[in-house]
Amino acid sequence: MTDPKITERAFDLSRRSFIDRVLMTAAGAGMAAAAPWASAAVAAEPTKSNPVRLGVIGTGDRGRALILNIAKTRNCVVVAICDSYAPHLAKGRALVDASVRSFADHRAMLDAGGLDAVVIATPLDRHAKHCFDALDAGLHVWCEKAMARTIADCGAMITRSQAARKVLQIGHQRMFHPTYLNALKRARAGEIGTLTQVRASWHRNNSWRRTVPGDATDRQINWRLYRDSSAGLMTELATHQIQVGNWFLDAVPTRVMGSGSICFWKDGREVYDHVALIYDYAGGRKLIYTSLLNNARYGCEEQIQGSRGTIEPELGRIFQEVPPKVLALQRMHKDVARGHKRTVPIGGATWFPELPVTTPGESLGWGEYDETMLQFEGFGEAVRAGKPLPGLLAQAYHASVASLLGEQAMDRGEALTWPTNLVAV
Amino acid sequence: MTALADVERFVAMGTRIEVHRFGAGADDALAAARRAIETVDDALTIHRPSPTTALNERLLAGQEAAIDDAVLFEALVAIDAAHAETLGLFDPTADRRFGAVGWGDVTFDRATARIAAAHPVALDFGGFGKGFALDRACAALRAAGVGSACLSAGESSIATVGQHPLGGGWPFAIPHPLLPGRTLIELELDDESLSISSTVGAGTQTPERAAMIRPGSGAAVTAARCTIVVDRLGASAEAMSTALIVADDARAARLIGAHPTHRFLFDLSQEAGMPAPSGRMQVQ
Repeated sequence: MTDPKITERAFDLSRRSFIDRVLMTAAGAGMAAAAPWASAAVAAEPTKSNPVRLGVIGTGDRGRALILNIAKTRNCVVVAICDSYAPHLAKGRALVDASVRSFADHRAMLDAGGLDAVVIATPLDRHAKHCFDALDAGLHVWCEKAMARTIADCGAMITRSQAARKVLQIGHQRMFHPTYLNALKRARAGEIGTLTQVRASWHRNNSWRRTVPGDATDRQINWRLYRDSSAGLMTELATHQIQVGNWFLDAVPTRVMGSGSICFWKDGREVYDHVALIYDYAGGRKLIYTSLLNNARYGCEEQIQGSRGTIEPELGRIFQEVPPKVLALQRMHKDVARGHKRTVPIGGATWFPELPVTTPGESLGWGEYDETMLQFEGFGEAVRAGKPLPGLLAQAYHASVASLLGEQAMDRGEALTWPTNLVAV
Repeated sequence: MTALADVERFVAMGTRIEVHRFGAGADDALAAARRAIETVDDALTIHRPSPTTALNERLLAGQEAAIDDAVLFEALVAIDAAHAETLGLFDPTADRRFGAVGWGDVTFDRATARIAAAHPVALDFGGFGKGFALDRACAALRAAGVGSACLSAGESSIATVGQHPLGGGWPFAIPHPLLPGRTLIELELDDESLSISSTVGAGTQTPERAAMIRPGSGAAVTAARCTIVVDRLGASAEAMSTALIVADDARAARLIGAHPTHRFLFDLSQEAGMPAPSGRMQVQ
């Protein structure tokens, strides 16, 4: 559904502008290999005729956001929705046409037929089951990140989709965001020198706990807080940023170490509200990750740190390493301007204070559109072609594995090496 | 007279670089100077993959290497000359790990651009690299029509192009490394470069800063010394200031005697328990 105040022409221009920006930022030396999915997603001109028919499993907050994004696409349409919790299903119904069928059980939706693919926006521990059922029903699958609750299930989702020759796409919208693509392009062009570290964080100051209505259970509503259904911050937030780290460092981690605690919200939750991890990459490079739920000062940030500068894609800025001025030389400038020639006191050690870069940086540009929409247009074209967007699933798989491995490293208090038994993507 | 001026400020060679241009010159003169310095950094750095790290890997493995990188080749030519000019006291292979092994154990064939070593060694261009980079930046500025410029690499390496924008030399005062507010020496540069080396003073004890190593023994220089060298070329000035720091008295006297108005060695051993009057310094 689009804003009714926006005219069709304005909508088209806005969409075209967004896609042009994605195309522009995804083009260039090295980018074809770094983001092959982006070019593939926008290469086709999707039309509303004969749209890909989607059934959405899960119409909670995220599922409804996805429905709104699907409505913006030119090649996908929601024809069925499903949720086992009636109030969520009712909210989902309010977003779709009356002709859209609704179900309380995903099996019933699959059995009813009339679908080309399903969209899974359910609690993490259900992803694998819903994915398997959809694949078994001969459908393509779009699934929210993280992929699954266990590393084994993440791999199984891939092998099952490959065996079924169906598209499996995971929701990592940053890979379609023009700001991120531009950031990666500029990093690949060497603008910030050699990348040795990514520092990422997702900090909030709220309990993450939702009010439980009288007709629901706490575990239904607050499934993110319980270990059987979620790895908490790692799978619900960190996954996105670990994907960004892998992408910019162009690698998967070699090992991870970390510490997790229930540090502030001691309310019966089972998942950590405070995580700090170090992911090692080849060559000594690192992703330093923190997430916490009782301080929002630094919010959601990624800092791509190179020898010549820093990129902060979440904030849309690129900074060059500009050292502080040499005051004596600065004074010489002023002297010369005034026609005075004075001795310049200079000399000393090479060392200078490591002060933060305080220059305002340069904008990387923002997407005016919602990159989640483009993900679905890409998914629609992939379904039509019967071929996944290149490179996308590998990024998602490795991000999910890394987040789940991080959880294990914190639980065990040990540094864990990257698994050697992952499936080939 | 006033002179139009602009500045390029950035990090390279492990330090802060400033390039101040005065008066005429092409619009992209400063950018060209920056590119020249960053090109040297890319070629000579040992802190990330570079032609030099690739060369070091081969030399440490006891293998001969072909020098394909033009900047590295030119630096090695300059190193070879500087080693000879400093009586072997400037040595890019000086390293505690390798003891007495030095540039003398390295065979560098300019004609074939090949290098080999009798024993495992690794090159570290250190301050020489800064002077070498400034030389190339000065050349870029001159090629861009700049007639007056001042360049600084961490304030311990200075280069000037032409004369001061108000005419005559560029006057600099070098502060005493141990006595705040005191001047060690004042100098004027005239289209010349300046290098300062010191074993004492701010920053010399920082963890990442390598100690001055005496070639032939691999021993760290512990004497409190400061050297200042002026030379037409920054690379030569750097090599000579390093050589003077590690030199024994006899060789220091020989080196200084060749250019007594351009080479200075300050023995600050009596200044360590500051404050002390500047008259107690030995200025050669």
